[in-house]
Amino acid sequence: MAPFLLLAQVIRKGECAISGIIRSEAGEVLPGITVVLEGTTIGNASNFEGNYQVTGIAPGSYKLLISGIGFTAQHHAISLQEGQQLKLDIQMKEDLQQLNEVVVEGKSIKAEIEETGFAVNVVETKKASLQSIQTNDLLNRAVGVRVRQNGGLGSSVNYNLNGMSGNSVRIFIDGIPISTYGPSFSLNSIPPSLIERIDIYKGVIPAHLADDALGGAINVILKKEMTNNLTASVSYGSFNTQQASVSGMYRDNHSGFTVRASGFHNYSDNNYEVWGKFVRNILANGRYDYVRAKRFNDAYRSSGGQVQLGFTNVKWADQFFIGYNGSDDYNEIQHGRYMSIPYKGRFSTSQAHVLNLSYQKDDFLTKGLNLSFNGMVSDRNEIINDTVKWNYNWFGEKSIGLNGDPILRPDGAQQGAPTLNHIDRNVNTFRSGLTYTFNTNHKIVFSHMFYSIDRNQQDMRKSAVEREFIGTRDLTKNISALAYEVEAFNSNLKANIFGKFYQQKIDRIDPILIKENGESRKTEDRVQSNRNTFGYGFASSYTIKPRLLLLFSAEKAVRMPSEGEIFGSPGDNIVENIGIRPEISNNLNIGFRAGPYGNGLHRFNIYASGFLRDTKDKIVQRINPRLNDAVQTDPFENLGKTKSIGFEAELKYELDNNLNILLSVSRFNSVYNLRYDANGNEYNNYNQQLPNEPFFTVNSNAQYTLNDLIQKNSAINFNYSFGFVDRFYTTWLEIEDFRTPRQFIQDVGVSYVFPNKKFVVSADARNIFDKQAYDNFAVQKPGRAFYLKINYTINNF
Amino acid sequence: MKNRFLNFLMCGAIFLAFTSCNEDDGATGPDPTNDEQWVTVAGAAMGENPGDGNGGTLIYAVSYEDAINPEVSIDVYEDGEPVKSNRTARIQVSEDGNTLFNIAYAGENGGEFSRFAVGGGASYVEEDVTVSIAQYAGTAPRWGKLYDGDKTGIAVNIADISANNAPVDENSDEKTGPFEYYRGTATILALDLQNVEISGYQQYEIPLSQEEELAGHTIFRLDAPVLNQVGNKLIIGTWMRKYDPESGDRESEWDRLGTKSVVVDYPSLKNAKVITSTVAHGDCSGYRSNVNFLAEDGNIYQATQRNPNGEGSYILKITPDNEYDNSYVFSLDEALGANDVYVQTWRYVRNGKGYVVYRKGESDQSFVALVDLNARTAKVVEEIPNDADLSLHQYQGFHVSGDNLLMAVTPIGKNGNIYVLNSQTGEVTKGAQLINKPGNHYIGAF
Repeated sequence: MAPFLLLAQVIRKGECAISGIIRSEAGEVLPGITVVLEGTTIGNASNFEGNYQVTGIAPGSYKLLISGIGFTAQHHAISLQEGQQLKLDIQMKEDLQQLNEVVVEGKSIKAEIEETGFAVNVVETKKASLQSIQTNDLLNRAVGVRVRQNGGLGSSVNYNLNGMSGNSVRIFIDGIPISTYGPSFSLNSIPPSLIERIDIYKGVIPAHLADDALGGAINVILKKEMTNNLTASVSYGSFNTQQASVSGMYRDNHSGFTVRASGFHNYSDNNYEVWGKFVRNILANGRYDYVRAKRFNDAYRSSGGQVQLGFTNVKWADQFFIGYNGSDDYNEIQHGRYMSIPYKGRFSTSQAHVLNLSYQKDDFLTKGLNLSFNGMVSDRNEIINDTVKWNYNWFGEKSIGLNGDPILRPDGAQQGAPTLNHIDRNVNTFRSGLTYTFNTNHKIVFSHMFYSIDRNQQDMRKSAVEREFIGTRDLTKNISALAYEVEAFNSNLKANIFGKFYQQKIDRIDPILIKENGESRKTEDRVQSNRNTFGYGFASSYTIKPRLLLLFSAEKAVRMPSEGEIFGSPGDNIVENIGIRPEISNNLNIGFRAGPYGNGLHRFNIYASGFLRDTKDKIVQRINPRLNDAVQTDPFENLGKTKSIGFEAELKYELDNNLNILLSVSRFNSVYNLRYDANGNEYNNYNQQLPNEPFFTVNSNAQYTLNDLIQKNSAINFNYSFGFVDRFYTTWLEIEDFRTPRQFIQDVGVSYVFPNKKFVVSADARNIFDKQAYDNFAVQKPGRAFYLKINYTINNF
Repeated sequence: MKNRFLNFLMCGAIFLAFTSCNEDDGATGPDPTNDEQWVTVAGAAMGENPGDGNGGTLIYAVSYEDAINPEVSIDVYEDGEPVKSNRTARIQVSEDGNTLFNIAYAGENGGEFSRFAVGGGASYVEEDVTVSIAQYAGTAPRWGKLYDGDKTGIAVNIADISANNAPVDENSDEKTGPFEYYRGTATILALDLQNVEISGYQQYEIPLSQEEELAGHTIFRLDAPVLNQVGNKLIIGTWMRKYDPESGDRESEWDRLGTKSVVVDYPSLKNAKVITSTVAHGDCSGYRSNVNFLAEDGNIYQATQRNPNGEGSYILKITPDNEYDNSYVFSLDEALGANDVYVQTWRYVRNGKGYVVYRKGESDQSFVALVDLNARTAKVVEEIPNDADLSLHQYQGFHVSGDNLLMAVTPIGKNGNIYVLNSQTGEVTKGAQLINKPGNHYIGAF
């Protein structure tokens, strides 16, 4: 088990140690409680799991002082023999007087974030990362999150947060937009073991993550351990899936010099079986031969690593790092949006080289002023390769036509026209934050993000002349946010009011040929779009009773129009609309968190939240009655309106320290919200569920721990989880054939922690009943699969 | 007509055998005693935007009597059967109205052909198996039914238009010779509608003249195939495109060539040859319906679209020896006394008469006119509502019965009617009322 891993250490001969777990009376584990030997400087604090350890103690008698804000201090007299490893679990009593003054202290980061008033969930990866699980699977278990993946490991993913999806959901790594890294360093490739936690903000996004995220933000926090450690894991499983990761941290205690390094490697053939009505070989005469087949053009490989060099906890910086992150992937693509036609030979490769600099200092210049800066310079390359011109069947063979010849693909290559498209992007991202704390009750947060991306592309399948006339696109975004945070009524009320300013500039540079007096001259056609807008919001939490918290948050959220939406696409007869406005959504969340309730043995936590997403000025393209024309016509316009109303809830149950059950439910109505036509008649689609939205999901995860079962000091964990997704229509007309099946997918796993706490071995079985699993209509996900994983950890070397 | 006569005989035989064909069960099956036929009415539902038709297609069948009866009202959106197609379906109906053919357009089953027995109302019973032409012609194919007694459908496609000197793979990035042409690969595919299977196909490049190709002209799309009178050639309409060979850019306005059609041998589908009109310069590919019709005189009449500025649509004539008759000049601008007439779709009825659906100038409003191909005259059908919201650009299907043409006319989001247009007398009567929904429109009465 993860908490115990931290305890494993090398102990010098003769020295004694004390360790144990610190809990509240309600049985909740307590982090941040200090344990010191009175009269000495020897001591330590409990970690997020409530575990503490004090080492390097000479034999003798001591008085142990255990204290934490919000709790009554305790004394324990102890006596240590030579080499003794004392195990001492401690129960803290709440100090009600103190508690009324400071509630926040003594809580995990997860609890602290989740109680700020935002509709936010924090996914901790520590336990799960010992299993063979993908980051996307972990996210999918979180309440209100639906991850829709187009197949197995490495395939494209779309995230839905409370009914908002696509480019209205932004993903960050340590607060930096994930587009800085590209597909090779993404939620598909980063293993959970390199992730500390994932914050999922729905609808309302705090200032420090400000971006034009209309529907929500997912922020992946990479591991930043503060103790010397080395962790490695390797797993192997079905479909020749191999995954390995290693991460380590070293800090020199004298100079503060710190090195953090990590690496990962993923590979899968993804050659899982598919079957059913979408899997058919088309015979020469056009008839179907339904088959059961293995995917044959779906391999995925990604590898990458990063090194951070710097100083931590030194006088001039809490953290200062300079680093490099490099990643590379290869991704075969088995099919397009639907799996009815298999591809062969379509693949993409991508690389990213990212240099970064980060700096963090509390009490910068003056007390109460905290500064953080994170800057990245990235060089991203991507190649999309699709040149195979024949049709293939599900056995990977060329489809033969009636004439006996192979049949050419209708568009020239597997997915469209043949392409060897090289896309290069230079991305610069800088985010800086300043926080000034006047006193415990008042705080000001300022955050600024600068983001620029220059894109160049060259399709090597185009003729030399054509390649000379390919344009470039440069986008620059500046997003500033200012927030004022206040705590009042003995910290029972926490409020956060914020405003955001968005500015976006796009340059379109297209080489063109000008013909004058019979002479041709190459020149540049430059167009610039400059646009800015405001947004604002509010988040608050109110503690009614010590274990009952009300949450309320709202934001006027913004999504800036994309390049295509502004400049159109001459190839598709879409003219530019320089005046297009951003999409606006009024987002609202009302919820509560309650718990833990129960006695020391049984404990419950409940979270529930209702939400509204009222989207206006949605960017759509009006129907063009002259689609038939050769001339360019309708642009994108701000015409659409949608609305999503729903709720999400999470129930957590713990039995002693052995059983842990998490159940989450999410249900919403995402509807078309344009009501009247020009004649004042109500549209048929008004208030109709938008097609292709998984609107009802239930997830559950249970874990049971048995200690000392096989060996003394060992632990064995059993895991079970299920995911339920109700059926939904994928087209406006409610045609049964275009409805997805109801899903109920179950996974089980077991992991064994060896007594030395360094080794953990886990075995997982996914989709144990080999059900046809679908995230997207007509795209089957892997069936039953088995994985084995070994984790190795050394701490405090 | 022959087919209806056969149908009559068939039902007569059934009548003798089962004595079950009587007027009382007209609601559940075809009523042969009246020589009755079904008329399938189709409506396109909106997707995200009013009038886009992307919400899918609904169909509903009524008897011919009901279709022409103004007392009857039809609401496909409430009562109709959805066609299994992700977006607007491309449907065709047999000459007797009793069988519906569909090729699903886009989506998981895009390119899938299916055949349904029309049973009246929302009853469309799938017959035989489905057949996919997606491998040959893509998931959003253009296809047409030949007027050969519902035996054959022809699907056409042009793929991968590229310059001859574009490198084939990354390694042959060296100089690949001088530019000669932009060309795509054409697919011509025959579908046996009766046995429900693909019966033949050919894939090849279709060159233009060297001079035209050097200037960057190319065939972008094929559509609207029609069989000639002898039955040995298919005439296929083209949609032309031009690239600037100096930059590779697609041009949006250029000096158009004369209207071109592709002639291929039938039934071998080989020996493609391009014929060019000197009369008009627009395309002749139609949009969602056929624009090429064989008349009793053995000539094929063809309406042009995307005409260069100011030219307006023409109806062109292709003679029985499969060449343009350039002495036949029928300008709709002249015939209608209007500027920039644009034929959105049209239908030949008989005896040299047909109806064109058109818009003019900058307006998107559709109008209907009766055309006399022999006299080269056109007369606006004034009885069709003069409504700015009437936009028939997605119109797909007409029903021809003797001299009469049945047409579903609804402005977007407004109710309308089936109109019965007598091509010989010019008489117009209102048929069944069509109940519409905001954002939706009817796209055919087949």
